[in-house]
Amino acid sequence: MGLRVDAAAACATECGAALHGGPLAGLTASAHVLARSNGDPVVDDLLEGILVGERICAFGRLAPAGQPSPTGPHSTDNGVRGAVGGEDVRLARRVDGAPQADAFLLLDPTRQCAVLLTEPDTWQLTTGPDGFDVSRGCADVAVRADALATGHRLTDLGQAVDLYELLLAADALGSVRRMLERTVAYAATRHTFGRPIGATQAVQHRLADHAVRARGMNLVVAEAVRRLGTDASHDTDAAGGTPGTSGTSAAGERSRWVALAGASVSSGAPHLLHDLVQLTGGIGFTWEYGLHLHERRVHQDARLAANPRAALRSLVHGAGWADAR
Amino acid sequence: MPADVDTGRQAEARDEIDAYRREVRAFIAEHGVRMPAEGVRVPRDADHEKRIRAWLAALYAAGHLGAGWPVRWGGRAGHLPVHDLVLMEELIRGDAYRPIDQVMLAAHSLLEFGSEAQRRELLPKIRSAEHVWCQLFSEPEAGSDLAALRTRARPAPDGNGWLVSGQKIWSTDAQWADMGTLLARTDPDVARHAGITAFVIPMTLAGLDIRPIREMTGHAEFCEVFLDEVRVGPEHVLGEVGGGWQVVTSGLASERAFVGANSVQLERMFTDLVALARAARFADGTAAITHEDIQAKLAGALVRVEEVRLIVRDAVDRILVDEEHPSDGPVGKLAYTELNVALTELAMEIIDSAVVVDDIAADVVARWHHNFLWGRALTISGGASEIIRGLIGRQLLGLPRA
Repeated sequence: MGLRVDAAAACATECGAALHGGPLAGLTASAHVLARSNGDPVVDDLLEGILVGERICAFGRLAPAGQPSPTGPHSTDNGVRGAVGGEDVRLARRVDGAPQADAFLLLDPTRQCAVLLTEPDTWQLTTGPDGFDVSRGCADVAVRADALATGHRLTDLGQAVDLYELLLAADALGSVRRMLERTVAYAATRHTFGRPIGATQAVQHRLADHAVRARGMNLVVAEAVRRLGTDASHDTDAAGGTPGTSGTSAAGERSRWVALAGASVSSGAPHLLHDLVQLTGGIGFTWEYGLHLHERRVHQDARLAANPRAALRSLVHGAGWADAR
Repeated sequence: MPADVDTGRQAEARDEIDAYRREVRAFIAEHGVRMPAEGVRVPRDADHEKRIRAWLAALYAAGHLGAGWPVRWGGRAGHLPVHDLVLMEELIRGDAYRPIDQVMLAAHSLLEFGSEAQRRELLPKIRSAEHVWCQLFSEPEAGSDLAALRTRARPAPDGNGWLVSGQKIWSTDAQWADMGTLLARTDPDVARHAGITAFVIPMTLAGLDIRPIREMTGHAEFCEVFLDEVRVGPEHVLGEVGGGWQVVTSGLASERAFVGANSVQLERMFTDLVALARAARFADGTAAITHEDIQAKLAGALVRVEEVRLIVRDAVDRILVDEEHPSDGPVGKLAYTELNVALTELAMEIIDSAVVVDDIAADVVARWHHNFLWGRALTISGGASEIIRGLIGRQLLGLPRA
């Protein structure tokens, strides 16, 4: 695979904890796909640029064809005009890192492939940065239909989507960990009525609940990382999956753990962080203290994967409940 | 679902563990007595009691229980703690009657604090299941705050031993127990932890009045026990006079890896939840599981189940290599018991929303009704969740005592 999933996840967690501005999840997923198509000069050139940190290839999903409507409720006046416009465009919604990107790798879910765009005149940002998450840039991207037709088509996606979604969960986990540590430290030192607020049960017991929940999220993400790392290497080594399981079911189990991780973090982290603001009181409500920066970020991590719903639906389908009668 | 402690640091012993698992599974299939319902231990009648005791004795005789004891008292050299976990997992999976906590704790107290004479007399009777034990610890005014206990042991007028008077409560299995571990205050004039003495007493002593308490499940598993001038002698003292608190606080059984079996318990509950959702039908005749809202709740529950199973497994991995953190037990207990309640609440929500449940799942519904009510016993006993959160706050987060 050429990639240590555990190392990538550790990086993502630290990026989340530090509110790093780069599109790590998307960039890693892009690089994962590009590395599987090496030999092509355009791909090799871009990959080289990514590896030395000079280029950014954003990762996104094309909306279904026939759904241009770029002027959605969030679009701004400088929408689809000029170089890329008219009816012959396809949209990719909410692409992390789009404002900084000089290349795009866009999944075309209907064709089971991805299109690589490296010419800046083939795309245009249709909205400014999302605005809610202030730690990273994100935008909708309109792409010329003819560029999609003639662009580089990459069909070996490997585990790119699993990797992307898992790293987003790991990023949010970093915010959870850092903010929980910070709030526990605050509760131990901030005094009211002559004692630390962390000595009152109303505060201490909620922090205990949050610590237990955070441990659960942490372990589910770690388990998904372990399985994605292990199973990915089995796929290449044994070209049929692990012994005793078909290739499909190994992939299914891998995706199941990614969905568990995505659902665990995206359904747990937002509430947890919002309560940490409450427990920190007025100071926690200030812009300067910054808890909100992490709240904004964990919601963005969820949105980039359309979670928690997408992950929960994936679990439902994986369990066969959607086919129940 | 991936189950069992076959990953992580135990991976190298997998073949050995699998072999033991097969052995235990076969043993249970051959000799096992069914668990009447979660938390229900009291025999229905004399015949049931006879079968339960025979089953517990068989577990000891085969070396599945008590294997971690010193060899001199029947333990096995080279016993692996992971076997305790495998045993408990298979007992749960096989729905077999499980060893009684109070008995195992009594055994460990005897091994650690008992006199030679006490060990010689009492340990073999635990192994033969001739003795079932209960604990006489909690009192109406001393539950979570056990050191507040007021049962008094006063020196007998004839100078021979003590006369014990007081009231105990929440004594599981006291109505059929043969022996009890009793805590009583022998010295009211010293610091409250220092004046307590532990005794091991036959439950047939004169002056003991045992009254089962009917609980909200409809069963009567707990008892209140009144002591009216019960005469106990020096031979009944466990450990030192005034050393009762050490006996209580050292009561961690060596089978602490048993906690890992909660993972199997959750696996079974989740299977039961899905079975319920398939069988519960709404007014239009459709099964609950065909609806997106129910599917989403099941998926959400599955996420929580996997979180908690990993929390438990993580703790067990540390226990098995003797690296456990003091907060591991409290974290696992809180996570497991609270999720257990949440799962039962979801099951009740599905049952309440349905107009009918297919006949085939009648036993599933009965089990959820019982488990819903019983679930509260788990969050109250053995350290109420409110106590546990305080322990986690202090031991894991380093916060000051509330």
